[in-house]
Amino acid sequence: MRPGFFEHLHPPTIAAAQARWSHTLGAGGSAIFLMLVLALTGMLEMFYYVPNPEQAALSVQRIAYHVPFGALTRNLHYWAAQLLLVVAVVHLLRVVFTAAYSGKRRFNYLLGLGLFVLVILLDFTGYILRWDADVCWPLVTGTNLLKAIPWIGDSLYRIAGGGGEACSTALVRFYTWHIFGLSIFVIILGVWHAFRVRRDGGIAAPPPALRESKKRISRRELLRREALAVLMLSALLILLAAFLPAPLAPAMTDPPTIGEEARAPWFFLWVQQMLRWGDPFILGVLIPLALLAVLALIPYVFPKPADGDIGRWLPRSGRAAQVVVTLIFLGVLTLTLLTLTSA
Amino acid sequence: MRIALTLAAGLLLLSLAFTWWQQLPRGEPVELTPTLRGQPEYCLTCHGDVPQISAAHALATFGCVSCHGGERLALDADVAHSSMRGGANPSDLALVEDSCGGGDCHSGSEADDRHHIQRVLTSVQSTYAGAIASMRYSFGAQPDLEARYGIAAVSDEETSTGIHSLAAFEPWNESHPLVQEFGENCLTCHLNATPREGEAFARSTGCASCHLTGEHTFSTAIPYAQCNACHNRGNYDLRTMTFVERGDEAVKRVDDYYQPIAQFTRCEYTLDCIDCHTRAEVMGDGDLHADKQSIQYIQCKTCHGTLTELPHTRTLTDPDDLAFKLAFLNPVVELQLGDTILVTGSDEPLWNTRVLPDGTYEMTGKASKQVFAFRPVMGTACEQKPDEQQSQYCHECHAVER
Repeated sequence: MRPGFFEHLHPPTIAAAQARWSHTLGAGGSAIFLMLVLALTGMLEMFYYVPNPEQAALSVQRIAYHVPFGALTRNLHYWAAQLLLVVAVVHLLRVVFTAAYSGKRRFNYLLGLGLFVLVILLDFTGYILRWDADVCWPLVTGTNLLKAIPWIGDSLYRIAGGGGEACSTALVRFYTWHIFGLSIFVIILGVWHAFRVRRDGGIAAPPPALRESKKRISRRELLRREALAVLMLSALLILLAAFLPAPLAPAMTDPPTIGEEARAPWFFLWVQQMLRWGDPFILGVLIPLALLAVLALIPYVFPKPADGDIGRWLPRSGRAAQVVVTLIFLGVLTLTLLTLTSA
Repeated sequence: MRIALTLAAGLLLLSLAFTWWQQLPRGEPVELTPTLRGQPEYCLTCHGDVPQISAAHALATFGCVSCHGGERLALDADVAHSSMRGGANPSDLALVEDSCGGGDCHSGSEADDRHHIQRVLTSVQSTYAGAIASMRYSFGAQPDLEARYGIAAVSDEETSTGIHSLAAFEPWNESHPLVQEFGENCLTCHLNATPREGEAFARSTGCASCHLTGEHTFSTAIPYAQCNACHNRGNYDLRTMTFVERGDEAVKRVDDYYQPIAQFTRCEYTLDCIDCHTRAEVMGDGDLHADKQSIQYIQCKTCHGTLTELPHTRTLTDPDDLAFKLAFLNPVVELQLGDTILVTGSDEPLWNTRVLPDGTYEMTGKASKQVFAFRPVMGTACEQKPDEQQSQYCHECHAVER
């Protein structure tokens, strides 16, 4: 039988050991599905969202309270975005902990890291599009970090936020970045990333000679597993959207009033915590960039994992990378918890 | 795998069905687009039972949000109420400019008689300037009775009283403990103060303190009981500077009526306060005044004249006469061009009075709508003197004792 469209996107067979849930955690596939959900719900929101400082928050309220199934659409978009960040982190950890970044996969690892950064920026720009009283402080803080960069800071600030007071002029910039500027790169990098997974030989596994089992599964079986994941993830998303509505605050006022609980969105709380300790350029820009650089350099400067270890959980030959990534992860987690408890 | 797929598909269908049911609209939201701003609001979805606040603030014109603030599109109580101005009292003087102000509303020009907010902010009801000066003078904190402080800082560039500004009274900077006590205990019931804790006092500042005569009713027909809410609530014990709530429950009007003294004439307890006391006296005239005496000017002779002079009158010939506007806002009398009414010494219309063809007068109670007949003292056996016009002199003959 000739393969159908979705089957055709998959290799005819893949190694059974690496196709297990316990190996992939379903993270990469979930990320693709969540991106599709985000594109669809985001497009629906665009029919009603008005990217104008006076009307943006009101149009969000219109979606949340008056458009039929608008609240559900918005909540799905919100929860898909939050889950996408979570599965992106899980995917990154899985790739590092199974030594799937090495050798010919080095470049695709960088593409994935680029996607991760884009997803964070999309989450932040999307959060700002609410344009309500809660987003002004994070917007000012975030864009001021750009200004703190020597030489090019002012230019970056103008590019990102339109150049005026952030809470007045940044909306159209953030809207365009969110809808187009960042999304187009997510599509390009995302397609490239998926293509490179196929081109690099599918899910990372040891060379055939070193494999413990020669068992393989068909693409039809792989497709079934993906369908199962999509069904379960859809149910989870729908229940989250039904029970936990996306946050909403009163519309931003002009001049903006900043609430007592000025707080960054959850994925930037760790940066907020560091900013309390001193220089915004060092703590808010250099350290996050340095962490990103460390992650990017893992396949290039750390010892190459042994061939037989590729695609195995926590191999000894990839220890250095595992420890560094774990430390970064725990550090960010600790800083996040510190912010939550100190407020 | 087939079973797992079927189960997962079932789970998804179930959650879809549940969410579909959960998202079905519960009742139609009630939309109102007030003509003043032309922006739809949905407050009436939950608050449809709140009565229109006054005919002058018609719901169809003003809606809710122009005065109360809030998120006009939100259907979730927390979000909808999150940006409300002043909770129960948007007219609190700290917020009044946003809630009630604007050139077309209550902070317009004096020429248009739309400077209500400026008048209230400078009135002694807001500043309490006289009492503060008197208290500080009594305890040696200032050498004279000159008004230097108000409850909040306030200035008046076009003053005609010589007082250009008052600084904010800061009791914690005072050295005498009783002046500090006074600051802490006695400044809560003036219009520009922070009200006392509790639901009962939530609307006791700003415009609402006088004009909110019902749960959600704004009126210029203010009964004496409204004034009593502050002016007959109890008294201050001057030895301890603490407030002693009134304990008795008055049965007769004569017992209930606010009087700083125990003797009064009949008009002093049968009329409502606003039947005699004018808008300028009560709400201020736009200038800063040193104390109550310098703004309160209505005397017995204002309505009754003296033995040699009749009270001032005005025959209404101008359709734009202020009397018509005031009578329109509280239509207890049908004023017509050609009517002759009494006016005060500074020409404020006593628009609820009328000079009758036989030379006697009648007054219609602004709140009670009761009609009172009265006459000038000229030509009667009254022994009053033009320079003895305070009520104590009338009490010598006309007093009722409490």
